[in-house]
Amino acid sequence: MKEKLMDAKEAVELIPDGCSITFSGVSMVRKPMGFVAEIIKAKKKDLYLIDREAGMDFDILVAAKCVKKVRAAMVGFEIFGLALNLRRAVEQGEVKFIEETCGAITNAFRAGSQGIPFVPVKGILGTDLVDIHVKEGNWKIIEDPFSGDKMVAVRAVNPDVAVIHVQKADKFGNSSIEGARFEDVYKAKASKRLIITAEEIVPTDYFKQNPEKNTIPYFYVDAVVHMPKGAYPTGCPNYYDPDYDEIRRYVSLCKEGKVEEYIEEFVKRW
Amino acid sequence: MHVADVMIKAMAMQIEDGDVFLHGLASPLPALAMHLAKMTHAPNMVYLSVAEGLDPDPERYRLHPCSADPRHTNGCIGIVELLETFDLANKGLLTGMFLGGAQIDKFANINLTCIGSYEKPKVKLPGGAATAFLTPIVKKLVIWTTNHSKRVFVENLDFKTGIGYQEGKKTVVVTDKAVFEATRDGLKLISIHPGVTLEDVIENMSFEPIVEDYGTTPTPTDVELKLIEKLDPDNVRFSEFKR
Repeated sequence: MKEKLMDAKEAVELIPDGCSITFSGVSMVRKPMGFVAEIIKAKKKDLYLIDREAGMDFDILVAAKCVKKVRAAMVGFEIFGLALNLRRAVEQGEVKFIEETCGAITNAFRAGSQGIPFVPVKGILGTDLVDIHVKEGNWKIIEDPFSGDKMVAVRAVNPDVAVIHVQKADKFGNSSIEGARFEDVYKAKASKRLIITAEEIVPTDYFKQNPEKNTIPYFYVDAVVHMPKGAYPTGCPNYYDPDYDEIRRYVSLCKEGKVEEYIEEFVKRW
Repeated sequence: MHVADVMIKAMAMQIEDGDVFLHGLASPLPALAMHLAKMTHAPNMVYLSVAEGLDPDPERYRLHPCSADPRHTNGCIGIVELLETFDLANKGLLTGMFLGGAQIDKFANINLTCIGSYEKPKVKLPGGAATAFLTPIVKKLVIWTTNHSKRVFVENLDFKTGIGYQEGKKTVVVTDKAVFEATRDGLKLISIHPGVTLEDVIENMSFEPIVEDYGTTPTPTDVELKLIEKLDPDNVRFSEFKR
């Protein structure tokens, strides 16, 4: 096993401008916010962000002008309101938004992790999403070769990079996600490059004693970054809860047009 | 009594014992409705959610602003990944789902995508989440809105994110004024909440609902209200009503 422990500044260079990228977590849970700050610091450009349901991770990257395209089933702050920077950028045509639906994008990640080219997905037909994705080349309407029924073929998604925040990892990249995993294991295995950020770096013995806790084995991983509080202000099970006051503060600063102020402070946090 | 609690009860009543139900993000009312149903008339309901905890323990439940909050899995008896829940839906084993609607038409088709055109939206909404995938394949669909108005009940959707009425599927719309069911002829009024008039219901819609026999929406009992308050001591459920 090769050692892959490095600092965030080194790991961020695995992300070329213009690449497609996906992140761990959902909404206000286990988003790799520390690494998002590093992407902003490195002034990455023209990123294509892909996820099921994102929040502050996508919105702040859009605000920092790192993004040209977003593909997601939902981006927002739930009961706290809309993702204002993303909303503005899409309405003004600065960022292209491709609306996904959860069943399609999650299956696309899983297909990507399985190394198959596409996956048939039920539902969807009859909605206006079909045209958008057919035009984009993401979906095609096909016939089930056995029953003849019409259904949607969803092309597998293999992002250039995945950044996955976990609770524990060793220096070789063996990683343990605690609590809900969402699609993170599929995202990790579907991506061409994989950056792990971890609350804690544990000795490899931890996995030798608990092999079932190794949710992403070392051979998938390109970089391991030790990043305590790396999901903050989103939550990280067994380490800290989402900080709703802080997320609300971000949303209200955005409302007041003061997102630059927040970004300045945000990038200094790690 | 706050109308949130009336809506929670009306939503809970759509769940039958033995149903398998899912709620997604931004879903304080559905989460409470699912708990209420399971604690009262539907003890064998299977509780699945975006937080991925199977059957969270109501005794240890406290509603938080993010529906995926890890604490929403407290006391759950297993983890069911959302993708596994979608596999259940493929197999026809997910009975129902709760979804919001920024625009709702007379067949309860919904728009959660954009106001204006998709390419150049006047308002880019958060997005439909699982709507397009699940609405055609579940057996029960419960749509809720806390803004019963002409802006929500529209003649024509700006974008069709999800499908309402379908033969063989029960589609119910619960608003802050009334409860409807989608039929092949349009949206049929089922009941009006206490204190709301028929004019109030009809004048705040851009199309005419079907009005025949309708009743008054039952309100939660004192015991049910206490259960709701215990599940949500921070009053997260009222947040959708602040405008």
